[in-house]
Amino acid sequence: MAKNESTRPDTARFIAHGTILRRLSPLATVLVLLLAWHWITDWRLVSRILIPPPAAVLEAFTQAMVDGTLARHTTTTLGEMMVGLLFGVSVGLAIGYAIAKAPLLEYILSPVIVGFQSTPIVAYAPLLIIIFGTGPSSKVVTTAVIVFFPTLVNTIVGIRGVSPRLRDLMRSLNAGRWQVLLKLELPSALPVLLAGLKTSTTLAVIGAVVGEFVGSGSGLGVLVISARSQYDTPLVYVTVLTMTAIALSLYSLVALVEWRVLDWQRRSA
Amino acid sequence: MFKLIRIISLFALLSAWICSAQAPLAEERILLTFVPNVQFAPFYVGIEKGFFAKAGFDVRLEHLQEPEVLDLVAVRQADFGVVSGEQVILARSRGRDVVYIFEWFQQYPVALVHSDALKLTDLEQLRGLKVGIPGRFGANYSGLTTLLSSAGLSESDIEVNEIGFNAAEVVCLGAVDAAMVYANNEPLQIRDRAAAGDCGDITDVEVITVASQVDLVSNGLIVSRSLLEAAPDSATAMALALKEALQFSINNPAAAYLASLRHVDTLPGDESLIAELEAVAERQAQFLAAKPDRAGVAESRAELLRQLAEQFDASVLTQFQVLLNTIELWDADQLGVSALASWEAMRDTLALMGFLGGELGDLSDAFSNEYVLGGSE
Repeated sequence: MAKNESTRPDTARFIAHGTILRRLSPLATVLVLLLAWHWITDWRLVSRILIPPPAAVLEAFTQAMVDGTLARHTTTTLGEMMVGLLFGVSVGLAIGYAIAKAPLLEYILSPVIVGFQSTPIVAYAPLLIIIFGTGPSSKVVTTAVIVFFPTLVNTIVGIRGVSPRLRDLMRSLNAGRWQVLLKLELPSALPVLLAGLKTSTTLAVIGAVVGEFVGSGSGLGVLVISARSQYDTPLVYVTVLTMTAIALSLYSLVALVEWRVLDWQRRSA
Repeated sequence: MFKLIRIISLFALLSAWICSAQAPLAEERILLTFVPNVQFAPFYVGIEKGFFAKAGFDVRLEHLQEPEVLDLVAVRQADFGVVSGEQVILARSRGRDVVYIFEWFQQYPVALVHSDALKLTDLEQLRGLKVGIPGRFGANYSGLTTLLSSAGLSESDIEVNEIGFNAAEVVCLGAVDAAMVYANNEPLQIRDRAAAGDCGDITDVEVITVASQVDLVSNGLIVSRSLLEAAPDSATAMALALKEALQFSINNPAAAYLASLRHVDTLPGDESLIAELEAVAERQAQFLAAKPDRAGVAESRAELLRQLAEQFDASVLTQFQVLLNTIELWDADQLGVSALASWEAMRDTLALMGFLGGELGDLSDAFSNEYVLGGSE
């Protein structure tokens, strides 16, 4: 018994260390990548024309921050992304819910939806520019189109995955349609819906940037083209890393929301 | 006696084998921009008519974006690339030691296109108008800056719209008053649409070329400085082979079009058109045997289009006409040679745009006519 008590703090310490290590591991990965990058350029394993040293990228980042270039283009892309995300996710949720409740709709709409999804967006993005104009609206549409499908699929899967027994229970309690939606379907489908939202947030960056690549005056896509056409490779890296940071931040934000919102599920499990 | 003949025959065979083994063709990639298109006809001619093989090269063509072409040549992942002169200046200002050794386009290919209803008689009239450009990069943007500058205007005097590479559609939709385009291609497309009643209110377009205002250095062949130091003969051989292929294309566009068919999937080429082009190419070869001057050859090209237009629809001949329009931008008394003044004009344009990254150094280091002149400079 005494032996057991003496090992308990060790176990707790071990678990605590494990948790810290787990939390630090992404940081360690980034650190290792940075060191590898530094050595590759320092030892000139690859031409600095193709891969600039981290210090040059940091310098370009500082310059772009100081003169406001990065903030201006990032704001444009973020704006297009958020509106497109909101629009695409809303439509995906609505149509996904309708399809989940009325399977006939799936047969009617699936050729169009799957057709759109299976065609690379870069192929028809120029057409969207022509139809929706060269302003931000065409980038909002490319974003909405790209985030629509994962939201749609996850909504269908989530709503259809609701337990029939619970549905019967709600029916036996004379629950109305809104009550079923808010008290049963939404909470049950939430893990799948949030998984879809995580995918959508990362895709939203791609949607906005593809639209900007095709024709735009501002945005991170434009900054990449502009930096590339002026052979400013460090600035290209800064822009690409900014896109990555945006995608990671949004993904983490949804993951945080998921963690908070689904707390009750973890507790009951 | 028989033994002697046998020994001599064996020796002759052995010599022939050694000779053939000693001169294998060097595999070379030439990096081009855009996508396979009839505008790259001299390169297809170089392959199909054996100009590159004669110079000792087994050429493979690849298409990339201009900055990628330039960087791959700069780091010697490819020996030869084709980019515009402005890219050479920009890249050199950022530490890429590439050298332009052959000016392919003698005239800058970019132009401003607008509806003829706009009745622009002076570039100054652009003030306040909406002008479409693919984006604030590349030849179209440089061209616009040059045109505005030549009229004493700046970007703030007009409304610039970034429209991607959709000028024909956007102009026809009336979303812009004018657009920067490639002079040899898009105006033709817009005219075809207008003729078919598919271009809104536009019935015809007018074109103002950048070349009519300022001589800017245009597209050409580049190599890295290290290649020139390690294998100058290779650079000379390639420049001269390209010169021959270019001259052939200028002189006999029908043959150049036929050579392009194997490389450009979308090029119209039904049996009747091919048969006619083969006949035309043959007649042109006979005409060229009489060694006509440059003006005579230019006249023969115009006549050739008139003959073909009598037999084929305009839509079938659009790409052939693109080739003829492009030839006008290639043709010169001395092919491949670029002038310092055109480089200076381009440098000044880029400086005006604020695009020069760092120290450019001596501009005359950016290009050399030595190789196209066969080392005779």
